[in-house]
Amino acid sequence: MAVREKTADGSIVICRCEDITLSEIRDLIAQGYHTIDEIKRVSRAGMGPCQGRTCRQLIARELAAALGVPIEQVEMPTFRPPSRPVLLSTIARGEADE
Amino acid sequence: MTQLREVDIAVVGAGPAGLAATLACGESGAATLLVDYMDAPGGQLIKQTHKFFGSERQFAGTRGIQIPAIFMERLSKMPNVALMWGANASGYYADSGVLTLEDGSKFVKVKAKRVIIATGAAEKPLAFENNDLPGVYGAGAVQTLMNVHGVKPGDRVLMVGSGNIGLIVSYQLIQAGVEVVALVEAAGCIGGYLVHAAKLRRAGVPILTSHTVVRALGEETVRGAVVAQVDQSWQVIPGSEREVACDVICLAVGLTPLVDMMWQAGCEMKYVPALGGHVPVRDENMRASNPAVYVAGDSGGVEEASSAMISGEIAGISAATSLGFEVKEADARLSRLKADLAAIRSGPTGEKICAGIKCATVCGGEW
Amino acid sequence: MEIALYSHFAQGREDSGRPLGRLRPNVVRLKDHPILEFPTGREVEFTFNGKEIEGIEGEPIAAALHAAGVRILRHSPKLGRARGFFCAIGTCSSCLMTVDGVPNVRVCTEPLKQGMVVETQEGHGHLPID
Repeated sequence: MAVREKTADGSIVICRCEDITLSEIRDLIAQGYHTIDEIKRVSRAGMGPCQGRTCRQLIARELAAALGVPIEQVEMPTFRPPSRPVLLSTIARGEADE
Repeated sequence: MTQLREVDIAVVGAGPAGLAATLACGESGAATLLVDYMDAPGGQLIKQTHKFFGSERQFAGTRGIQIPAIFMERLSKMPNVALMWGANASGYYADSGVLTLEDGSKFVKVKAKRVIIATGAAEKPLAFENNDLPGVYGAGAVQTLMNVHGVKPGDRVLMVGSGNIGLIVSYQLIQAGVEVVALVEAAGCIGGYLVHAAKLRRAGVPILTSHTVVRALGEETVRGAVVAQVDQSWQVIPGSEREVACDVICLAVGLTPLVDMMWQAGCEMKYVPALGGHVPVRDENMRASNPAVYVAGDSGGVEEASSAMISGEIAGISAATSLGFEVKEADARLSRLKADLAAIRSGPTGEKICAGIKCATVCGGEW
Repeated sequence: MEIALYSHFAQGREDSGRPLGRLRPNVVRLKDHPILEFPTGREVEFTFNGKEIEGIEGEPIAAALHAAGVRILRHSPKLGRARGFFCAIGTCSSCLMTVDGVPNVRVCTEPLKQGMVVETQEGHGHLPID
């Protein structure tokens, strides 16, 4: 795909894996998506290779600010294995040698 | 089809907490497995060139980089302790007590009666314009590059954050011949020990409190940064923006515990800001609400390596005794370890940690 | 139940030695560090986008690239933004590159081997079809 010549355009990137910016997150919250889970399902934020390790906290902070609640009250999404991407061939192989 | 391997105790993470936990479990005679996704043990210790404070039991006077070998010397001789490096713990299934491990080509399932999670903590991100530009690195990354791989991170670094990590890494940069153009701290005062800050001042590094980074400059890599003054509500004061020439922006704004597996295990979790974020609720012996799960080190709350080694030992002793393995003078050891922990947490900076730990400990200290 | 020292996970990497980066006639590699001594390792050649670069066998690919002045490791899928590494310990997934044709390799923890073909990853990368 074509590489942008200039990438320093003042964007604040929240989800590095899926390229979701802060303005997109704020738009979604304004549209009525008020949980991390909903935002994740609509935008894919948190579904990339790092599984939300970078963006989850930043999204939680935005939600807390937008909804006027302490960050303690922002519900966390469900955590399921695997914690990082695994090839299907790895699971199928198990412990067998090549 | 994968076999199901069985152990008494599995320890996830071979940093200071995991190493101490494994030693305690190994000494009790329990069949113990220690895993880490890196190719060698040590966790964050492998980059820590500074000498430790504290008591002799916590390796005072020894450099962090020397500590893993001290543990390995003993662990490698224990026939009941197995070590797996290069193995990522990808999941924990609470209903069956199974831990899954993978390295990108093999997949192993381990059934463990007890699991001690010592997965440490990760860098907190910071949201500012162009925060994803190459050259914006976490403080841990800068330390790894310098101290483990012997590569200069850049020539001019802007450090963001004045906690101990920000102060120490700045000093390590200077030792490696890198210029630290400034250190910015959003709060009105320095977060870490003043002895570290004093070293930086003597080396000529400007420490700007009530300042933060608002923009990274550069087409495709960092060439500079815009810093600005902030008021007490963290709002940028208009007109205070200044450009700084740098090729690395180093973020040392705190760590947050890595607790995915605790969530997977269904442990009761609590958000405790003083400890870095969500942590599992635990009793005084590091047991989580799921009786098969123990927590140790930074993943239970971000502190430091000395505290990690102590909580690791506490978790190891508790997990082993819970299975009926004999630990000599367990009660006396546990009391002494808890006293050591209290001593480490007794300084002025320790007050917040103490309050945080109390928040994360189940009422009455016992489930 | 048998307990043995499992090394099959790290076997390949142990074979390659896994030494740390070291002094070379190159300003970016640290020399004369007051505390640390970096042991020597075997120098190997690899290619980055077709260009031949030297590195130390076993060090992370990202470290070898950084020592050679390469900080841009990929361009992101949607917005084409340049990315380098961030955490350097394999957790943040910023440093994904295509290595020997395989995409999404975390180069901050992947050990360098002689003859590796390393490419800037554009977007999600392309799976090798064999």
